[in-house]
Amino acid sequence: MNGDGAVAGPTAERDGGVAHGPGAEDRTGVPAVEMHGISKRFGDVVAVDEVDLEIGDGEFFALLGPSGCGKTTTLRMIAGLDIPSEGRLAIFGEEVASWPPDRRPVNTVFQAYALFPHMTVAQNIAFGLQMRGIRGAEADRQVAEATALVRLEGMEQRRPSQLSGGQQQRVALARALVNHPKVLLLDEPLGALDLKLRQEMQTELKALQREVGITFIFVTHDQEEALAMSDRVGVMSEGRLLQVGTPAQVYEHPANRFVADFIGRTNLLEGVVESSTTLRLHAGAVVAAETDLAAGTPAALSVRPEQVRLHGRGETPQGAPCLDGVIGDATYLGHAFVYTVSIGGSGDGATTITVRAETGSAALAVGEPVSASWLPATTTVVAD
Amino acid sequence: MSSLGTAGAKASARRLLKANAWFVFAFLYVPIVVLVVFSFNDSERVNVWQGLSPRWYGEALGNTQIISALRVSLIVAISSTIVSTVLGTAVALALDRYRFKGRRALDGTVYLPIVIPDITMAVMLLVFFAEAFKLIDTFGPRLTLGVTTVALSHIAFNISFVAVVVRARLDQFDRTLEEAARDLYATPWGTFRRVTLPLIAPGIAAGALLALALSLDDVVISAFTAGPGATTLPVYVFSTIRQGVTPELNAISTLMLAASITLVVASLALQRPRSTTP
Repeated sequence: MNGDGAVAGPTAERDGGVAHGPGAEDRTGVPAVEMHGISKRFGDVVAVDEVDLEIGDGEFFALLGPSGCGKTTTLRMIAGLDIPSEGRLAIFGEEVASWPPDRRPVNTVFQAYALFPHMTVAQNIAFGLQMRGIRGAEADRQVAEATALVRLEGMEQRRPSQLSGGQQQRVALARALVNHPKVLLLDEPLGALDLKLRQEMQTELKALQREVGITFIFVTHDQEEALAMSDRVGVMSEGRLLQVGTPAQVYEHPANRFVADFIGRTNLLEGVVESSTTLRLHAGAVVAAETDLAAGTPAALSVRPEQVRLHGRGETPQGAPCLDGVIGDATYLGHAFVYTVSIGGSGDGATTITVRAETGSAALAVGEPVSASWLPATTTVVAD
Repeated sequence: MSSLGTAGAKASARRLLKANAWFVFAFLYVPIVVLVVFSFNDSERVNVWQGLSPRWYGEALGNTQIISALRVSLIVAISSTIVSTVLGTAVALALDRYRFKGRRALDGTVYLPIVIPDITMAVMLLVFFAEAFKLIDTFGPRLTLGVTTVALSHIAFNISFVAVVVRARLDQFDRTLEEAARDLYATPWGTFRRVTLPLIAPGIAAGALLALALSLDDVVISAFTAGPGATTLPVYVFSTIRQGVTPELNAISTLMLAASITLVVASLALQRPRSTTP
């Protein structure tokens, strides 16, 4: 790697745009971030446990997990705010695990933005430039560009306390992007915003990332946000990275029970693996399901609510796995119905299946006997 | 009947509390008002009113003893404030930031000078200086009590006050701001200078003003640790009072009162958490 890491690449200089990272033609194929066996312990607590992860150049990557799963600590290790207890960490091929934050070519958008309250918007944005010795007209030009990029023109002389949450968020983005970081880290950047603003900012952040072409790594506990925004998702729980994949891969083929349950809504039908192609459900039926798990392993079949079809008893398509039950509850959502189907069976077998049906179909009444079926390809066998 | 009775009792209780508040207020402030009013008395005698005049202010400021005492007071106050502000801030930062051996012990004892009675502190320091001088004198130099010892003593108690005030400010300080500065390429020193220091500056200034006021006011410790020629203004006032209160003393006291009030009010204003709206 060349030495002037933190400063803009040649592309940015050429077209004069702020924070234009390496264009597609410049991408070297070196991963933006590479982690091998990264662990972080705080005393006896293992916050991050042997994480291996590769994030590509220009990727929009989401680290997703419940609070306390280690996702923020992982982000802080990339930023240099926490130093890994073990493992290797490289940014664009450069080993940085023990580097202080001011030497790393990354910038962070903090959860509560952490804007400097004693500085104006313009001073906040100029801070990183000043610390790297960029002053005067050149600094003014870059600050103006960053301000325009996040559409904050006219706010330059305000203090952070005079801005709304959404505006503070933009200042935080501009303050980071003005430095042309090679990787932008975002710690729950939308967490402090209300729902409507959050959805607006989701679209805006995605557009911004496309525009600047920088690798974005984004921490969130909101699975919908992660699926909607990112190119790939890494799901974490209890310090471990459980699955990495595109939103579709993670949603349609969850690696284990936790991921299936955490990403979207699903029905987990408990059972035991019978063969590599069948699962015996506690509810009674033996259903077709591909799995690598050994026969006899306790496992569950993850069936998404929108993949379940409801039929009259005995009207199920030939060969499709099905379970008989009774409508236990029906909720009208406008664009869809959500039914809860009670599946009979004794003891362990008793369960419910949540079904989501488009409103076009006829409404079913509570108490109506039905058969629930699905296509085996839309389901996944998951174990702990 | 009974409800009427309680209503009446409530009303009279309210009246009593109100009267008490006024009484306490008067108890605190009437002597001050009397002092200020009589400092403008034209009479030779303190307790005979003879008409308004700034005469005694002129006399006080023309008195060379008073001026020299004022000079000593200012030297001691300013030097002890500067030193104790730097050291007190450093102590507050160390206690807030670092986990080191003896931290808990220091945390507990740094506030001791605030609660120790002045007279104990004074005797303590006098004994300390006497013993220290005896030791140092065996190596040659002959040290005596003077302006330096008074200043050192004031530093000794002022550090605690500065540390308390600065720590209160640090408690409200958001450490993420320092992380943000580090993330934005600031070195540890750059972070302190550009982010930490400006944000805790009001606390430091408040501590410094408090230290200045305490130093200007102190009598007991200054009287014990001052040698000849190192008389501070409060010590001078205290010594002349034995010859009876003169209108001149009223004038000096009023001036000192005004200075103290200004410093304390400024200190409180700086400590008040305020919104960052300019």
